[in-house]
Amino acid sequence: MTYTVALAQVNPACGDLEYNVKMHVAQTEQACEAGADLIVFPELSLSGYLLKDQTLDVMRRADCPEFAGLRELSRHIAICAGFVEEGEDGIPYNSAFFMDAGEVCHVHRKMYLPTHGMFEELKFLGRGKELSVFDTRFGRTGIVICRDLFHPLEVSTMAALGVELLLAPSAMPARGFGGEELAIEQTVSLALGSASTFLGMFVVYVNRVGFDDGLGFYGGSALSDPVGGITVSAPRFEAVQLLGTIDTSHIARHRYQLPIRREEDLAIVRHALETRRNS
Amino acid sequence: MTPDTLALNNEFVYDYLKRFVQEELHTSGFTEACIALSGGLDSALVLKLAVDALGADHVHAIFLPYKASSAESKRDAHTMFEFCGIPWQELDISGMADAYLALQPGIDRLRTGNLLARLRMAVIFDQSKKENALVVGTSNKSELLVGYSTWYGDMACALMPIGDLYKTQVRSLARHLGLPQQVIAKLPSADLWTGQTDEGEIGVSYETLDQVLFLLVDQRCSSAEVNSEGFELDLVQRVERKILTSQFKRVPPPIAKLSQRTVGIDFLYPRDWRK
Repeated sequence: MTYTVALAQVNPACGDLEYNVKMHVAQTEQACEAGADLIVFPELSLSGYLLKDQTLDVMRRADCPEFAGLRELSRHIAICAGFVEEGEDGIPYNSAFFMDAGEVCHVHRKMYLPTHGMFEELKFLGRGKELSVFDTRFGRTGIVICRDLFHPLEVSTMAALGVELLLAPSAMPARGFGGEELAIEQTVSLALGSASTFLGMFVVYVNRVGFDDGLGFYGGSALSDPVGGITVSAPRFEAVQLLGTIDTSHIARHRYQLPIRREEDLAIVRHALETRRNS
Repeated sequence: MTPDTLALNNEFVYDYLKRFVQEELHTSGFTEACIALSGGLDSALVLKLAVDALGADHVHAIFLPYKASSAESKRDAHTMFEFCGIPWQELDISGMADAYLALQPGIDRLRTGNLLARLRMAVIFDQSKKENALVVGTSNKSELLVGYSTWYGDMACALMPIGDLYKTQVRSLARHLGLPQQVIAKLPSADLWTGQTDEGEIGVSYETLDQVLFLLVDQRCSSAEVNSEGFELDLVQRVERKILTSQFKRVPPPIAKLSQRTVGIDFLYPRDWRK
């Protein structure tokens, strides 16, 4: 199967849900016209990132009236976008929904909320407790939000659970301006390369651009292909929508060429963890 | 530590800072910027960034000399106005400064310097109201960290594009952008009195200071570790003390908490807060 994914490297307005919904609708219509089957937005794309106490004002359920236009558009194109989710427990979560065929199919709650240095997510948001692995018309799909991508154990577990398409909406601030690429870009490249090369997944990494106060998000969205490497690479700092092609036959071909998945023996991991626990 | 540790990809930095100036202004609903030009390198670089980000027509720069300001300052400020293609604007603060100074016999150099910095602040903020502009600050990371700046004086502004660049990085970026050599090469000075230089006052060259700061702050090294990198312990401890004693300048004043929600403590919104 071959399909087209749109990487929406956008600049959301912090705390302005109305503006952001309109921007999402326009981006989705553009992707639709370009023939995309799926559009992926960055982390907290519908709310903005550095919300602090605005978190309470912008939290919504994925089936809220404000997102009705997007649900309607998802009859024509699958949509993955970030928002502050109002949990059934009343807790706000840093979440991303996956909509298709007019329905909310899945909501992932970010599991690892960075709270150190410039980050203060756990001060305002609840922690997601579950890996997101779900079936879509594109195959077994997983979502990791920003920092989640840097946890190889979780990404490996998702691979073990059969994920072939990993969606990675992000809001990664630029830092480390010393080299030919930003230090954070090198870190992301490692994560993308490892997921595609060792775990045989397609990764759709969509990072935002623009500034929330002094934090500048660098963009650099990418499509990582197990066979082709980075096949789509968005510019730094620039708002842009790019299209990439995913050929799912690459997964089997790659896993045949480098059969890490076939070699994998989770019993070894399980045994090590149990031995450790019992010692 | 090699000097390269502080080296930056200046093209990235330039692109990023231009966008920062543009977006921070526009998000706040402004199109105009106001900059107090001193004739020194920091304000020269900020002027260049602002002009490239917003266009020369949207940048209002003013040279604000006191009668003791050096002739070089005026010459270099003039060069920068020409370099950036913006009309010369000068407002002499001697009259307003002297009116107060006459009432303060025996005032020392430091108080006078602070007074001049705060008068310039008052003028640039008033001009920014006139132009419906935001004041763009010119503080760099070296001076912010050691507190070599006047609280509510030259530190007062709406945004600080070069506040995370050490002085040596400011020089490198200025060179990359082709700023006039005379502005890049001059000895840094607050020009608050005749013959004043930053390095004379701080007691160390910026090359050394920036490396020590980089190790202490960016690399989180202890003073013993910095010392083992070849910097005198006495110097390192002096720099550490400067950082400590100037902390009050880098944070808003503490508010005594009484209520459920207190400004700055648990009434927390980004600066770019829109409703």
